[in-house]
Amino acid sequence: MNPLLTLNDVGMRYPLSSSPDGWYRVFDGVDFTLYPGERVGIVGRNGVGKSTLLRLMARIFAPSHGSVVWAPNTSVSLLSLGLGFRLDLTGRENALLSCLLQGHSKKAAKDCLPGIEAFCELGPFFDQPVKTYSSGMRARLGFGTALLNRSAVILIDEILGVGDAAFRAKAREALKQQLARERSVVIVSHADFQIKSLCDSAVWLDAGGIKLAGDPEAVLDAYNAAEEP
Amino acid sequence: MTLLDTLARFELKADARRYYLGYLWWVLEPMLYVAVFYLVFDKLLDNRQPDFLVFLAVGKLTFIWFSKSVNQAGMSLVQNRGLIAQIDLPKHLFPMAILHEGLYRQLAVFLFLVGFLALAGFTPTALWWWLVPLAMIQYVLIIGCSLLAALLVCVRRDFQLFIQLGTVFLLFMSGVFWDVSSISDPDLAYWLQVLNPLVVLLDSYRQILLWSQVPNVSALLWVCVESAVLLATALYLYRRLHYWLASRAITQ
Repeated sequence: MNPLLTLNDVGMRYPLSSSPDGWYRVFDGVDFTLYPGERVGIVGRNGVGKSTLLRLMARIFAPSHGSVVWAPNTSVSLLSLGLGFRLDLTGRENALLSCLLQGHSKKAAKDCLPGIEAFCELGPFFDQPVKTYSSGMRARLGFGTALLNRSAVILIDEILGVGDAAFRAKAREALKQQLARERSVVIVSHADFQIKSLCDSAVWLDAGGIKLAGDPEAVLDAYNAAEEP
Repeated sequence: MTLLDTLARFELKADARRYYLGYLWWVLEPMLYVAVFYLVFDKLLDNRQPDFLVFLAVGKLTFIWFSKSVNQAGMSLVQNRGLIAQIDLPKHLFPMAILHEGLYRQLAVFLFLVGFLALAGFTPTALWWWLVPLAMIQYVLIIGCSLLAALLVCVRRDFQLFIQLGTVFLLFMSGVFWDVSSISDPDLAYWLQVLNPLVVLLDSYRQILLWSQVPNVSALLWVCVESAVLLATALYLYRRLHYWLASRAITQ
Protein backbone atom coordinates (compact mmCIF):
# COMPACT_ATOMS: atom_id res chain seq x y z
CA MET A 1 0.00 0.00 0.00
CA ASN A 2 1.35 3.42 -0.93
CA PRO A 3 1.51 6.00 1.84
CA LEU A 4 -0.78 9.02 1.68
CA LEU A 5 1.72 11.26 3.34
CA THR A 6 5.46 11.08 3.80
CA LEU A 7 7.53 13.45 5.90
CA ASN A 8 11.19 13.08 5.18
CA ASP A 9 13.78 14.55 7.56
CA VAL A 10 11.50 17.52 8.19
CA GLY A 11 12.73 20.44 10.27
CA MET A 12 11.05 23.68 11.22
CA ARG A 13 12.45 26.89 12.61
CA TYR A 14 11.17 30.39 13.20
CA PRO A 15 13.11 33.63 13.35
CA LEU A 16 13.53 34.63 17.00
CA SER A 17 15.48 37.75 17.83
CA SER A 18 16.22 36.76 21.43
CA SER A 19 18.04 33.53 20.52
CA PRO A 20 21.82 33.66 19.93
CA ASP A 21 21.72 32.70 16.24
CA GLY A 22 18.39 34.43 15.54
CA TRP A 23 16.40 31.21 15.10
CA TYR A 24 14.13 29.10 17.22
CA ARG A 25 14.32 25.45 16.17
CA VAL A 26 10.99 23.73 16.77
CA PHE A 27 12.14 20.28 15.66
CA ASP A 28 14.52 18.58 13.29
CA GLY A 29 14.80 15.28 11.45
CA VAL A 30 11.15 14.26 11.69
CA ASP A 31 10.29 11.18 9.60
CA PHE A 32 6.66 10.17 9.40
CA THR A 33 4.37 8.19 7.11
CA LEU A 34 0.61 7.99 7.06
CA TYR A 35 -1.22 5.18 5.26
CA PRO A 36 -4.85 5.13 4.10
CA GLY A 37 -7.18 4.40 7.00
CA GLU A 38 -4.48 4.83 9.62
CA ARG A 39 -5.14 6.71 12.86
CA VAL A 40 -2.15 8.22 14.54
CA GLY A 41 -2.02 10.04 17.85
CA ILE A 42 0.58 12.68 18.62
CA VAL A 43 1.54 13.40 22.22
CA GLY A 44 4.05 15.75 23.75
CA ARG A 45 4.47 18.65 26.13
CA ASN A 46 3.18 22.15 25.33
CA GLY A 47 5.38 24.01 22.90
CA VAL A 48 7.21 21.08 21.30
CA GLY A 49 5.59 21.82 17.94
CA LYS A 50 2.60 19.49 17.71
CA SER A 51 0.40 22.13 16.08
CA THR A 52 3.25 23.20 13.83
CA LEU A 53 3.67 19.58 12.74
CA LEU A 54 -0.02 19.37 11.85
CA ARG A 55 0.24 22.60 9.89
CA LEU A 56 3.18 21.22 7.96
CA MET A 57 1.11 18.15 7.18
CA ALA A 58 -1.78 20.36 6.08
CA ARG A 59 0.56 22.22 3.70
CA ILE A 60 -0.07 25.50 5.49
CA PHE A 61 3.61 25.91 6.30
CA ALA A 62 6.52 24.81 4.19
CA PRO A 63 9.21 23.00 6.18
CA SER A 64 12.50 24.82 6.77
CA HIS A 65 14.18 21.70 5.45
CA GLY A 66 13.18 18.19 4.43
CA SER A 67 10.12 17.31 2.39
CA VAL A 68 6.40 16.82 2.90
CA VAL A 69 4.94 14.67 0.13
CA TRP A 70 1.28 13.88 -0.35
CA ALA A 71 -0.14 11.23 -2.66
CA PRO A 72 -1.74 13.02 -5.64
CA ASN A 73 -5.27 14.40 -5.17
CA THR A 74 -5.46 13.81 -1.44
CA SER A 75 -7.77 16.24 0.33
CA VAL A 76 -6.82 17.20 3.85
CA SER A 77 -8.68 19.16 6.48
CA LEU A 78 -7.14 20.53 9.61
CA LEU A 79 -9.37 21.04 12.57
CA SER A 80 -8.39 23.28 15.44
CA LEU A 81 -10.42 24.94 18.10
CA GLY A 82 -12.32 28.15 17.52
CA LEU A 83 -10.47 29.11 14.38
CA GLY A 84 -11.76 30.01 11.02
CA PHE A 85 -15.34 30.83 11.82
CA ARG A 86 -16.84 34.13 10.84
CA LEU A 87 -18.70 35.21 13.92
CA ASP A 88 -21.39 37.24 12.18
CA LEU A 89 -22.34 34.36 9.92
CA THR A 90 -24.64 31.54 10.96
CA GLY A 91 -23.51 27.98 11.58
CA ARG A 92 -25.05 26.94 8.28
CA GLU A 93 -23.26 29.68 6.35
CA ASN A 94 -19.97 28.89 8.04
CA ALA A 95 -20.38 25.19 7.28
CA LEU A 96 -21.10 25.96 3.62
CA LEU A 97 -18.14 28.31 3.42
CA SER A 98 -15.91 25.76 5.04
CA CYS A 99 -16.89 23.11 2.47
CA LEU A 100 -16.29 25.58 -0.38
CA LEU A 101 -12.91 26.49 1.07
CA GLN A 102 -12.00 22.80 1.12
CA GLY A 103 -12.48 22.87 -2.62
CA HIS A 104 -15.99 21.46 -3.01
CA SER A 105 -18.35 22.78 -5.66
CA LYS A 106 -21.32 24.78 -4.45
CA LYS A 107 -23.65 21.86 -5.07
CA ALA A 108 -21.42 19.37 -3.27
CA ALA A 109 -21.08 21.83 -0.39
CA LYS A 110 -24.84 22.19 -0.12
CA ASP A 111 -25.22 18.41 -0.17
CA CYS A 112 -22.95 18.17 2.88
CA LEU A 113 -25.11 20.55 4.93
CA PRO A 114 -27.94 18.25 6.12
CA GLY A 115 -25.39 15.74 7.44
CA ILE A 116 -23.43 18.45 9.23
CA GLU A 117 -26.61 19.92 10.71
CA ALA A 118 -27.74 16.53 12.01
CA PHE A 119 -24.35 15.68 13.42
CA CYS A 120 -23.76 18.99 15.24
CA GLU A 121 -27.10 18.83 17.11
CA LEU A 122 -27.22 22.58 17.40
CA GLY A 123 -30.97 22.74 16.84
CA PRO A 124 -32.21 26.23 15.97
CA PHE A 125 -28.75 27.63 16.71
CA PHE A 126 -27.52 26.21 13.40
CA ASP A 127 -29.20 29.23 11.80
CA GLN A 128 -27.95 31.74 14.36
CA PRO A 129 -24.71 33.74 14.11
CA VAL A 130 -21.73 31.83 15.50
CA LYS A 131 -21.01 34.71 17.89
CA THR A 132 -24.00 33.54 19.94
CA TYR A 133 -22.47 30.05 20.38
CA SER A 134 -20.82 28.68 23.48
CA SER A 135 -17.31 27.29 23.05
CA GLY A 136 -18.71 23.76 23.12
CA MET A 137 -21.17 24.60 20.37
CA ARG A 138 -18.39 26.09 18.25
CA ALA A 139 -16.39 22.93 18.70
CA ARG A 140 -19.36 20.83 17.61
CA LEU A 141 -19.76 22.90 14.49
CA GLY A 142 -16.05 22.72 13.74
CA PHE A 143 -15.91 19.01 14.32
CA GLY A 144 -19.08 18.28 12.35
CA THR A 145 -17.89 20.41 9.44
CA ALA A 146 -14.49 18.77 9.25
CA LEU A 147 -15.83 15.28 9.75
CA LEU A 148 -18.51 15.46 7.11
CA ASN A 149 -16.75 17.42 4.40
CA ARG A 150 -15.46 14.23 2.79
CA SER A 151 -11.79 15.05 2.80
CA ALA A 152 -9.59 11.95 2.81
CA VAL A 153 -7.48 12.96 5.79
CA ILE A 154 -8.48 14.77 8.97
CA LEU A 155 -5.89 16.38 11.20
CA ILE A 156 -7.29 17.15 14.62
CA ASP A 157 -5.63 19.59 16.97
CA GLU A 158 -6.80 19.05 20.54
CA ILE A 159 -10.48 19.53 20.04
CA LEU A 160 -11.80 16.17 21.17
CA GLY A 161 -11.72 17.32 24.77
CA VAL A 162 -14.40 19.93 24.26
CA GLY A 163 -18.15 19.69 24.26
CA ASP A 164 -20.15 17.79 26.84
CA ALA A 165 -19.65 14.12 27.65
CA ALA A 166 -22.40 12.98 25.31
CA PHE A 167 -20.96 14.87 22.36
CA ARG A 168 -17.43 13.68 23.13
CA ALA A 169 -18.64 10.10 23.06
CA LYS A 170 -20.45 10.75 19.79
CA ALA A 171 -17.38 12.40 18.28
CA ARG A 172 -15.22 9.41 19.26
CA GLU A 173 -17.76 7.01 17.83
CA ALA A 174 -17.95 9.01 14.60
CA LEU A 175 -14.16 9.01 14.32
CA LYS A 176 -14.07 5.25 14.78
CA GLN A 177 -16.49 4.86 11.91
CA GLN A 178 -14.16 6.83 9.67
CA LEU A 179 -11.80 3.89 9.64
CA ALA A 180 -14.37 1.86 7.76
CA ARG A 181 -14.52 4.65 5.19
CA GLU A 182 -10.78 4.53 4.61
CA ARG A 183 -10.17 7.98 6.00
CA SER A 184 -6.98 8.69 7.83
CA VAL A 185 -6.81 10.67 11.01
CA VAL A 186 -3.98 12.35 12.87
CA ILE A 187 -4.90 13.47 16.37
CA VAL A 188 -3.03 15.73 18.74
CA SER A 189 -4.40 15.16 22.21
CA HIS A 190 -3.47 15.44 25.85
CA ALA A 191 -6.06 12.85 26.85
CA ASP A 192 -4.48 9.39 27.03
CA PHE A 193 -7.72 7.49 26.79
CA GLN A 194 -8.57 9.19 23.49
CA ILE A 195 -5.30 8.16 21.92
CA LYS A 196 -5.60 4.65 23.33
CA SER A 197 -9.18 4.14 22.21
CA LEU A 198 -8.88 5.79 18.81
CA CYS A 199 -5.41 5.32 17.44
CA ASP A 200 -3.49 2.38 15.98
CA SER A 201 -0.18 4.08 16.60
CA ALA A 202 1.24 7.04 18.46
CA VAL A 203 4.11 9.45 18.14
CA TRP A 204 5.79 11.20 21.05
CA LEU A 205 7.12 14.55 19.95
CA ASP A 206 9.68 16.05 22.30
CA ALA A 207 11.88 19.12 22.13
CA GLY A 208 13.89 18.74 18.95
CA GLY A 209 12.10 15.86 17.27
CA ILE A 210 10.35 12.51 17.55
CA LYS A 211 11.34 10.67 20.72
CA LEU A 212 9.36 7.50 20.26
CA ALA A 213 6.83 6.07 17.82
CA GLY A 214 4.83 2.87 17.74
CA ASP A 215 2.13 1.14 19.74
CA PRO A 216 -0.07 3.73 21.56
CA GLU A 217 0.13 1.95 24.94
CA ALA A 218 3.91 1.74 24.85
CA VAL A 219 4.39 5.32 23.65
CA LEU A 220 2.01 6.73 26.25
CA ASP A 221 3.60 4.72 29.06
CA ALA A 222 7.05 5.98 28.14
CA TYR A 223 5.79 9.54 27.74
CA ASN A 224 3.94 9.53 31.07
CA ALA A 225 6.90 7.98 32.86
CA ALA A 226 9.18 10.73 31.55
CA GLU A 227 6.72 13.48 32.42
CA GLU A 228 6.12 12.40 36.02
CA PRO A 229 8.07 14.53 38.45
CA MET B 1 -14.85 32.53 -8.61
CA THR B 2 -17.79 30.86 -6.83
CA LEU B 3 -15.74 30.89 -3.66
CA LEU B 4 -14.81 34.54 -4.03
CA ASP B 5 -18.36 35.54 -4.77
CA THR B 6 -19.76 33.50 -1.88
CA LEU B 7 -17.19 34.96 0.50
CA ALA B 8 -18.05 38.48 -0.66
CA ARG B 9 -21.78 37.99 -0.48
CA PHE B 10 -21.63 36.32 2.93
CA GLU B 11 -19.54 39.23 4.13
CA LEU B 12 -22.14 41.69 2.83
CA LYS B 13 -24.80 39.69 4.64
CA ALA B 14 -22.78 39.64 7.84
CA ASP B 15 -22.19 43.35 7.53
CA ALA B 16 -25.87 44.05 7.03
CA ARG B 17 -26.56 42.03 10.19
CA ARG B 18 -24.01 43.98 12.19
CA TYR B 19 -25.72 47.30 11.56
CA TYR B 20 -29.24 48.14 12.56
CA LEU B 21 -29.88 49.92 9.26
CA GLY B 22 -28.40 47.01 7.30
CA TYR B 23 -28.37 47.33 3.52
CA LEU B 24 -29.75 50.87 3.77
CA TRP B 25 -26.19 52.00 4.49
CA TRP B 26 -25.24 51.32 0.90
CA VAL B 27 -27.09 54.48 -0.20
CA LEU B 28 -27.15 56.24 3.12
CA GLU B 29 -23.39 56.57 3.26
CA PRO B 30 -22.90 58.40 -0.07
CA MET B 31 -25.98 60.49 0.72
CA LEU B 32 -24.49 61.58 4.01
CA TYR B 33 -21.22 62.53 2.32
CA VAL B 34 -23.05 64.76 -0.11
CA ALA B 35 -25.10 66.24 2.74
CA VAL B 36 -21.95 67.01 4.71
CA PHE B 37 -20.33 68.64 1.67
CA TYR B 38 -23.42 70.70 1.11
CA LEU B 39 -23.43 71.85 4.72
CA VAL B 40 -19.72 72.68 4.87
CA PHE B 41 -18.97 74.10 1.46
CA ASP B 42 -22.29 75.56 0.39
CA LYS B 43 -23.66 76.84 3.67
CA LEU B 44 -20.73 77.26 6.07
CA LEU B 45 -17.99 78.40 3.68
CA ASP B 46 -20.46 80.00 1.26
CA ASN B 47 -18.66 78.67 -1.79
CA ARG B 48 -19.53 80.59 -4.94
CA GLN B 49 -17.98 78.16 -7.43
CA PRO B 50 -20.81 76.85 -9.62
CA ASP B 51 -21.53 73.15 -9.29
CA PHE B 52 -18.93 72.70 -6.55
CA LEU B 53 -21.21 70.23 -4.78
CA VAL B 54 -21.43 67.86 -7.77
CA PHE B 55 -17.71 68.39 -8.41
CA LEU B 56 -16.98 67.19 -4.87
CA ALA B 57 -19.51 64.37 -5.00
CA VAL B 58 -17.95 62.86 -8.13
CA GLY B 59 -14.44 63.17 -6.69
CA LYS B 60 -15.20 61.91 -3.22
CA LEU B 61 -17.52 59.04 -4.12
CA THR B 62 -15.02 57.60 -6.56
CA PHE B 63 -12.00 58.28 -4.33
CA ILE B 64 -13.61 56.60 -1.34
CA TRP B 65 -13.92 53.37 -3.29
CA PHE B 66 -10.15 53.34 -3.48
CA SER B 67 -9.42 54.44 0.08
CA LYS B 68 -11.92 52.14 1.79
CA SER B 69 -10.90 49.15 -0.28
CA VAL B 70 -7.19 49.58 0.38
CA ASN B 71 -7.69 50.12 4.11
CA GLN B 72 -10.07 47.21 4.58
CA ALA B 73 -8.28 44.77 2.31
CA GLY B 74 -5.02 45.77 3.99
CA MET B 75 -6.21 44.07 7.17
CA SER B 76 -7.55 40.98 5.45
CA LEU B 77 -4.59 38.61 5.79
CA VAL B 78 -4.12 39.39 9.46
CA GLN B 79 -7.83 39.18 10.18
CA ASN B 80 -8.19 35.84 8.43
CA ARG B 81 -5.34 34.19 10.28
CA GLY B 82 -7.80 31.64 11.66
CA LEU B 83 -8.65 30.37 8.19
CA ILE B 84 -5.08 30.73 6.99
CA ALA B 85 -4.02 28.50 9.88
CA GLN B 86 -6.50 25.84 8.82
CA ILE B 87 -6.64 25.65 5.06
CA ASP B 88 -4.00 26.06 2.42
CA LEU B 89 -5.51 28.63 0.09
CA PRO B 90 -4.06 31.19 -2.32
CA LYS B 91 -3.50 34.11 0.01
CA HIS B 92 -4.70 36.77 -2.41
CA LEU B 93 -8.16 35.27 -1.99
CA PHE B 94 -8.64 37.15 1.29
CA PRO B 95 -8.01 40.71 0.06
CA MET B 96 -9.83 39.84 -3.16
CA ALA B 97 -12.96 38.81 -1.24
CA ILE B 98 -13.01 42.21 0.49
CA LEU B 99 -12.52 43.98 -2.84
CA HIS B 100 -15.24 41.95 -4.48
CA GLU B 101 -17.53 42.96 -1.65
CA GLY B 102 -16.51 46.59 -2.12
CA LEU B 103 -17.28 46.30 -5.83
CA TYR B 104 -20.88 45.37 -5.04
CA ARG B 105 -21.16 48.37 -2.75
CA GLN B 106 -19.59 50.68 -5.28
CA LEU B 107 -22.15 49.65 -7.89
CA ALA B 108 -24.79 51.02 -5.54
CA VAL B 109 -22.72 54.18 -5.07
CA PHE B 110 -22.41 54.66 -8.84
CA LEU B 111 -26.16 54.25 -9.20
CA PHE B 112 -26.67 56.82 -6.47
CA LEU B 113 -24.19 59.17 -8.17
CA VAL B 114 -25.91 58.88 -11.53
CA GLY B 115 -29.28 59.57 -9.88
CA PHE B 116 -27.90 62.49 -7.91
CA LEU B 117 -26.33 64.03 -11.01
CA ALA B 118 -29.53 63.58 -12.98
CA LEU B 119 -31.43 65.38 -10.20
CA ALA B 120 -28.82 68.14 -10.22
CA GLY B 121 -29.52 68.74 -13.90
CA PHE B 122 -26.79 66.69 -15.57
CA THR B 123 -28.54 64.63 -18.21
CA PRO B 124 -26.86 61.31 -19.01
CA THR B 125 -25.19 61.25 -22.42
CA ALA B 126 -23.52 58.50 -24.44
CA LEU B 127 -20.26 59.70 -22.90
CA TRP B 128 -21.39 58.26 -19.58
CA TRP B 129 -20.66 54.79 -20.97
CA TRP B 130 -17.06 55.73 -20.29
CA LEU B 131 -17.94 54.94 -16.67
CA VAL B 132 -17.54 51.24 -17.45
CA PRO B 133 -13.90 51.29 -18.65
CA LEU B 134 -13.00 53.95 -16.07
CA ALA B 135 -14.39 51.83 -13.22
CA MET B 136 -12.60 48.78 -14.63
CA ILE B 137 -9.27 50.59 -14.70
CA GLN B 138 -9.85 51.90 -11.20
CA TYR B 139 -10.69 48.39 -10.00
CA VAL B 140 -7.41 47.00 -11.35
CA LEU B 141 -5.57 49.84 -9.60
CA ILE B 142 -7.46 49.08 -6.38
CA ILE B 143 -6.63 45.37 -6.59
CA GLY B 144 -2.92 46.05 -7.13
CA CYS B 145 -2.68 48.55 -4.26
CA SER B 146 -4.81 46.47 -1.89
CA LEU B 147 -2.86 43.26 -2.43
CA LEU B 148 0.35 45.11 -1.69
CA ALA B 149 -1.23 46.80 1.34
CA ALA B 150 -2.35 43.45 2.79
CA LEU B 151 1.11 42.03 2.23
CA LEU B 152 2.79 44.97 3.98
CA VAL B 153 0.45 44.77 6.97
CA CYS B 154 1.28 41.08 7.18
CA VAL B 155 5.00 41.93 7.25
CA ARG B 156 4.59 44.55 9.96
CA ARG B 157 1.38 45.70 11.56
CA ASP B 158 2.77 49.26 11.60
CA PHE B 159 2.09 49.52 7.89
CA GLN B 160 -1.60 49.63 8.71
CA LEU B 161 -1.08 53.10 10.21
CA PHE B 162 1.07 54.18 7.27
CA ILE B 163 -1.64 53.06 4.88
CA GLN B 164 -4.32 54.95 6.81
CA LEU B 165 -2.22 58.10 6.75
CA GLY B 166 -1.30 57.46 3.12
CA THR B 167 -4.94 57.39 2.03
CA VAL B 168 -5.61 60.65 3.93
CA PHE B 169 -2.61 62.15 2.12
CA LEU B 170 -4.01 60.88 -1.18
CA LEU B 171 -7.39 62.39 -0.36
CA PHE B 172 -5.73 65.80 -0.59
CA MET B 173 -3.34 64.90 -3.41
CA SER B 174 -5.76 63.28 -5.86
CA GLY B 175 -7.95 66.21 -6.78
CA VAL B 176 -11.00 65.44 -4.67
CA PHE B 177 -11.14 69.10 -3.64
CA TRP B 178 -9.35 70.71 -6.59
CA ASP B 179 -9.35 70.51 -10.35
CA VAL B 180 -6.07 69.46 -11.91
CA SER B 181 -6.61 71.84 -14.85
CA SER B 182 -6.68 74.78 -12.44
CA ILE B 183 -3.09 74.15 -11.32
CA SER B 184 -1.10 77.02 -12.77
CA ASP B 185 2.29 75.28 -12.94
CA PRO B 186 2.07 72.93 -15.96
CA ASP B 187 5.04 70.85 -14.77
CA LEU B 188 3.42 70.24 -11.43
CA ALA B 189 0.13 69.28 -13.04
CA TYR B 190 1.98 66.92 -15.38
CA TRP B 191 3.88 65.15 -12.60
CA LEU B 192 0.80 64.89 -10.41
CA GLN B 193 -0.89 63.00 -13.22
CA VAL B 194 2.11 60.82 -13.95
CA LEU B 195 2.77 59.85 -10.35
CA ASN B 196 -0.74 59.60 -9.00
CA PRO B 197 -3.12 57.58 -11.18
CA LEU B 198 -6.05 58.73 -9.04
CA VAL B 199 -5.61 62.31 -10.32
CA VAL B 200 -6.19 61.10 -13.88
CA LEU B 201 -9.09 58.84 -12.89
CA LEU B 202 -10.96 61.46 -10.85
CA ASP B 203 -10.43 64.04 -13.59
CA SER B 204 -11.72 61.58 -16.20
CA TYR B 205 -14.86 60.84 -14.18
CA ARG B 206 -15.59 64.56 -14.01
CA GLN B 207 -14.88 65.09 -17.69
CA ILE B 208 -17.45 62.54 -18.77
CA LEU B 209 -20.07 63.17 -16.08
CA LEU B 210 -19.90 66.92 -15.61
CA TRP B 211 -18.20 68.50 -18.59
CA SER B 212 -19.29 66.20 -21.44
CA GLN B 213 -15.72 65.71 -22.64
CA VAL B 214 -13.87 62.64 -23.79
CA PRO B 215 -11.19 61.89 -21.19
CA ASN B 216 -7.49 62.06 -22.01
CA VAL B 217 -6.92 58.61 -23.49
CA SER B 218 -3.12 58.63 -23.38
CA ALA B 219 -3.16 59.61 -19.70
CA LEU B 220 -5.62 56.79 -19.05
CA LEU B 221 -3.41 54.33 -20.89
CA TRP B 222 -0.56 55.32 -18.61
CA VAL B 223 -2.83 54.62 -15.62
CA CYS B 224 -3.53 51.18 -17.13
CA VAL B 225 0.20 50.51 -17.33
CA GLU B 226 0.78 51.64 -13.74
CA SER B 227 -2.13 49.54 -12.45
CA ALA B 228 -1.03 46.48 -14.40
CA VAL B 229 2.54 46.75 -13.09
CA LEU B 230 1.28 47.05 -9.50
CA LEU B 231 -1.02 44.07 -9.94
CA ALA B 232 1.63 41.90 -11.59
CA THR B 233 4.14 42.75 -8.85
CA ALA B 234 1.60 41.92 -6.17
CA LEU B 235 0.64 38.59 -7.73
CA TYR B 236 4.28 37.65 -8.17
CA LEU B 237 4.98 38.39 -4.52
CA TYR B 238 1.94 36.44 -3.34
CA ARG B 239 3.07 33.41 -5.26
CA ARG B 240 6.66 33.75 -4.15
CA LEU B 241 5.81 34.33 -0.46
CA HIS B 242 2.90 31.88 -0.21
CA TYR B 243 4.12 29.89 2.83
CA TRP B 244 5.99 32.76 4.38
CA LEU B 245 2.80 34.85 4.40
CA ALA B 246 0.94 32.04 6.17
CA SER B 247 3.48 31.73 8.97
CA ARG B 248 3.72 35.51 9.22
CA ALA B 249 -0.06 35.99 9.43
CA ILE B 250 -0.37 33.27 12.07
CA THR B 251 2.62 34.03 14.26
CA GLN B 252 2.85 37.81 14.05
